[in-house]
Amino acid sequence: MGVGIDVGSTTTKGVLLDSSGNIIAKSLMLTGASAVQAVEKTLHNISSSSNIDLNGVPMISTGYGRARVELAEKSVTEITCHSVGVHYINPDIRLLIDVGGQDSKVIRVGSSGRPEDFELNDKCSAGTGRFLEVMARVLDVSIDELGPLALQSKTPCSISSTCTVFAESEVIGHIGAGKSAADIAAGVHISMVSKISALSKRVGVKEPVCVTGGVALNPAFKHHLSNQLGVELWVPDEPQLTGALGAAVIALEKKGEM
Amino acid sequence: MTQERPSEEKPYRRLETQTLLQQIALRHGLEAMEASENGNLAWVTSGFPVEIPIAMNLGVVYPEQAGAIIGAQKIGPEICGYAEDLGYSQDLCSYARSSIGSTEKPDKVPVGSLPTPQILLACNNICGTVLRWYDAISEMTGAPVFLLDTPPIDKQQLPHNREYVHRGVERLIEFIGSQFNRTLEEDRIRKVAELSSRATKLWISALEACKNKPSPLNCADRFLTMAPVVSSRGTEHCVEFYEAFVAEVEERVKNRIGAIRDEKVRLLWDNIPPWHTLRFFNILASRGVGFPADTYTHAWTGNMVGTDTHSIIDEVVETYSKVYLNMGLDAKVDKMCQLIKDYDLDGFVMFSVRSCKRYSLGQLVSKELVTERTGVPGVIIEGDMVDSRVYNEAQIETRVDALLEMLM
Repeated sequence: MGVGIDVGSTTTKGVLLDSSGNIIAKSLMLTGASAVQAVEKTLHNISSSSNIDLNGVPMISTGYGRARVELAEKSVTEITCHSVGVHYINPDIRLLIDVGGQDSKVIRVGSSGRPEDFELNDKCSAGTGRFLEVMARVLDVSIDELGPLALQSKTPCSISSTCTVFAESEVIGHIGAGKSAADIAAGVHISMVSKISALSKRVGVKEPVCVTGGVALNPAFKHHLSNQLGVELWVPDEPQLTGALGAAVIALEKKGEM
Repeated sequence: MTQERPSEEKPYRRLETQTLLQQIALRHGLEAMEASENGNLAWVTSGFPVEIPIAMNLGVVYPEQAGAIIGAQKIGPEICGYAEDLGYSQDLCSYARSSIGSTEKPDKVPVGSLPTPQILLACNNICGTVLRWYDAISEMTGAPVFLLDTPPIDKQQLPHNREYVHRGVERLIEFIGSQFNRTLEEDRIRKVAELSSRATKLWISALEACKNKPSPLNCADRFLTMAPVVSSRGTEHCVEFYEAFVAEVEERVKNRIGAIRDEKVRLLWDNIPPWHTLRFFNILASRGVGFPADTYTHAWTGNMVGTDTHSIIDEVVETYSKVYLNMGLDAKVDKMCQLIKDYDLDGFVMFSVRSCKRYSLGQLVSKELVTERTGVPGVIIEGDMVDSRVYNEAQIETRVDALLEMLM
């Protein structure tokens, strides 16, 4: 067996694999203010839903809070874990675009499943899930409603992509000018996608391309990114779990069970 | 990254000649104070043909070096802040900000505040900011500024540019002469150039010794021991230091003693280091990761004597026009590829320094080109050399760890 724990800035994810590599338990919860507590809760969720005592089960941690997982044998970066995780589900994937709460990353996946090259966003949240969260709040809709709302737009507003704070002011300006929420939401997505698209082109768009992270669940993001890159995008069933899955796969590999 | 270990098990080895280095730094500081008191001190930029003011008996100091010391003391944000209080932007080079800040409030700098200059000598072969920065210092201290203008070179230096820089060097000699009422003696400049050349050759031999496995020097060693070749080349004591230093390096090579205890991965470093976080290199050393080469310390390998020119002024023109930062992007990429090949390196880390546009511009493109040509992977990390406010350790750690996972 192997456990992978991905402590992200927004959510903490956990995956337990049996020795044949099947997912037998998983957990997804908000990280909140304490990464340590989120890790404890995640381990508890996995253990109780699988009815397996995790003591002695090899564990790999990843994500920004990876050092907070005391039980982990080793921590591995989210870049390697996402690459391994996606390769495990779909070995054909050559480019992985992961958009999380705090960062976005583009990884060129080698045929062995290991990263060959990668780029991360710079010190700005304009190309991350946080950008959409901020804009959803300004538009007074939930984050789940933002994507479907944007897809209703026929004439998206123009919104700059340099800075979340400045873009928020722009959005408020558009609201004041009487623009529809759908057009503003579409502009927000196009703006964010342009950052991710530029990052992807820096690594080189090699098909098939996969999108993971919480933002992959957003239909407007997927639609506009596919348009800007000019390629079809493949999204796994549970795009938020790929990092944790990759960590669990590495834990199994370490134990020599795979 | 893992924590540093207690000193007895440190993963890196301290150089014996560091003690000598401290003595040289102290001596250099005292000489600069004396020169300032005697009305003879020049502040010079790091790529300035320092042999000329030295041959004309001026004391010289380097504000960039003072900036490095301010960074290493971890007071960069505070000292840069004094320049920002005067209205300078946070986007301005942190060497310039720390220089302006420490000139404004010298009593706030324990070590690294420079004595008052009588003349400011700037050469824009390293960047264009130096002129405005020295203008600001001139306003604060009353010292006049001289700019040696060296147009950037794309592949070959054009004849009219060479002539232009030649005239600039002649004007420099006239300017110092008129300010201090003295002339440049041919014998003296030849002697200084010869000493400068000897120091540079010794420095090059120490750098080249790092081709050995394990490398006798790591990045942090070179960043510290480069100080004399930057600030004191052209003097006897600079040559003496490098003779001792090279002897220690050769001894390490002979006995296969590495700068780090267990060298597993060899990387190239590009750009100025984060002076406030030199432990970055030591933490990686504990994981067996060393840096046998970097583009920064290799930038001080221009050798005056021996170039195929007719006069010492021609040699100055040749050497100082062709410094690393005054060449085009192609030359930078060539240099990095060459270092990766010659030093048998497994990958590279490019430090994108927010302050230093001249050095950092083009890194996105050059990263791609270097990987394409050498086949080794690289990563770009962001930060600043003096101002630790823009250095995000967690982000840097993730990027470097991911590179190492690709290699180890």
